[in-house]
Amino acid sequence: MAVVECTPRPPSTRSQSRARRWVPLATVGLIVAACLGTAAWVGNNEVQVNTAFDRAHRSLDTTTHHRRMVLADLAGVRASLTAVDGQVGLDATTLSQDTTQLQGVETALANARTNVSSQTSVKSDLQLCLAGVEQALNALSVNDQPHAIAALDAVSTSCTVAVAANG
Amino acid sequence: MGDRRWRILLGSVVIVASIGVLTFAVTTDAQAQGRRHHELTLLDQARHELSVARFALAATTYVRALAINHREALQTSIASAEAQLAATEQSLAHVEADAFLLGINVGTLRTCLGGVQASLQAISANDNNAAAHDLSAVSAACSTLANSAIAGLVYPFDFPDPDVILVGDTYYAYATNSVAGNIQIIDSTDLAHWSVVGNALPGLPGWATPDATWAPGVLQVGSTFNLYYAARVAGPGGGEECISVATATQPQGPFVDSSTAPLECQASLGGSIDPSPFVDATGALFLQWRSIGAGGQPATIWSEQLDAAGTGFAGPSGATPTMLVVADQAWEAGVVEAPDLVLDAGRYFLFYSGNGWDGANYGVGFAACSGPLGPCSKPLSQPILASGSGVEGPGSTSVFTDASGATWIAFDAYVPGAVGYPNSRDLYLRRLNLTGATPIVEPAS
Repeated sequence: MAVVECTPRPPSTRSQSRARRWVPLATVGLIVAACLGTAAWVGNNEVQVNTAFDRAHRSLDTTTHHRRMVLADLAGVRASLTAVDGQVGLDATTLSQDTTQLQGVETALANARTNVSSQTSVKSDLQLCLAGVEQALNALSVNDQPHAIAALDAVSTSCTVAVAANG
Repeated sequence: MGDRRWRILLGSVVIVASIGVLTFAVTTDAQAQGRRHHELTLLDQARHELSVARFALAATTYVRALAINHREALQTSIASAEAQLAATEQSLAHVEADAFLLGINVGTLRTCLGGVQASLQAISANDNNAAAHDLSAVSAACSTLANSAIAGLVYPFDFPDPDVILVGDTYYAYATNSVAGNIQIIDSTDLAHWSVVGNALPGLPGWATPDATWAPGVLQVGSTFNLYYAARVAGPGGGEECISVATATQPQGPFVDSSTAPLECQASLGGSIDPSPFVDATGALFLQWRSIGAGGQPATIWSEQLDAAGTGFAGPSGATPTMLVVADQAWEAGVVEAPDLVLDAGRYFLFYSGNGWDGANYGVGFAACSGPLGPCSKPLSQPILASGSGVEGPGSTSVFTDASGATWIAFDAYVPGAVGYPNSRDLYLRRLNLTGATPIVEPAS
């Protein structure tokens, strides 16, 4: 075995040995290059990811700010709505009361008008009756019975109605 | 051999270092990716929440707008309802006030009607005293009714041809026969409220016809009161209207006429009516009256001096009276009557009535006279008091002075819409202004 190992290599074998020496070196070089290349690509990718992260973060801040503002507005509008709803409730109650009161007053007005109409009719009958009775009185006081009777006859209906209305 | 080992070791170290660098790069990249992913997730969530919040805001704003619209509609309705309510309450107040007044009016009407009906029943039973009492009881109620519509009306019953005098603190008004008797008499202390006294002339002389006595004129002569009146002569051959005089010791009567014949008749001139006594500044007594007109003589107003007692004419028997005025103006329609001579500040005013007493054209004219026996002239061609201002057919005046010295004119008139017999000719009072050339009947206050 030792003899074999000490035998000088032929020139071709020397070139082959030289080539064999460069193969691991090249392999190592390739591996290192691949690793570094990959690391460089990953690093570049990380920079991009971080940039995207920063943009997303700023957007998140902005969105969060907007959301807070919108929520504040919403709270204000809800408070306003609650107040308006309260007023609507009060107004509805007021309107209901007014309507009820109006109906009552209208009923009272209708009754009063009916009463006035009735009283006016009674008054008219009474005035007619009074005029006729006065005429009869005047005629009878000068012993003019025909005129007295005629005057009473003319107003008998009005007098009857007036007396009936008197109850 | 050692060199190779170093080269292998070196190569291994380089490879391990490279792998380490790569592993570190991959690890940090993975962490960065993780943070980015987490941030994007948060961002998505935040955006979703923002979207939800914006939607909620929009929805709430819309609901609030609806609520505001509803509120505004409600407030408009409330305003409308309250305006309607106010208007209705105002209408109700007016109608209730009307109803209240109508109620009073109707109650007063019933009271007045009740008294008039009772009076009618009493006179039907020939009980004139009860009739007068019934009218007196409702006089205030009937006056209230009449005064509400007609100013100047003070006695709302038939009271034709009035004559008013002042004795002490009391005013007495006399009128043609009606419910209260042959000559009605009422009295007042304020000229506004009048009460029925009764029948001033309970009995008539034998030559006079009942139920036909009118146009009284009363004059105080010393302690005696003379009542001049017109009456119709009774019996066969009678029928003409004549003037007589009755006397009493107090203004409310009873007046007694013990005559056997009229004081004045002028039968050839159609009869004499409407006597009106007058006292001149000298204290001399005169009587004015109307002749009805006949035989070509139109209706005429005459004047003649009375004796000191006022119960007969002065001068020799058969003396003729003096003509003052005749019916010669268109508006008079052939009638002058109801004279009333007035002396004021040295001027003589003769008031008289023209046209038909039972129509709306009846009115009051005047003539300016130089004295109680004339001559007189008519400055105007139209009446100084005619229908209008709540009266129809005013006439038959009596001018008198009240306790304060103010001059008044009393007259009868129909209320509008009830003109002509047997409607009542009620008693009116208004102030009379004699300061100018033409007497002015003031509007009722």
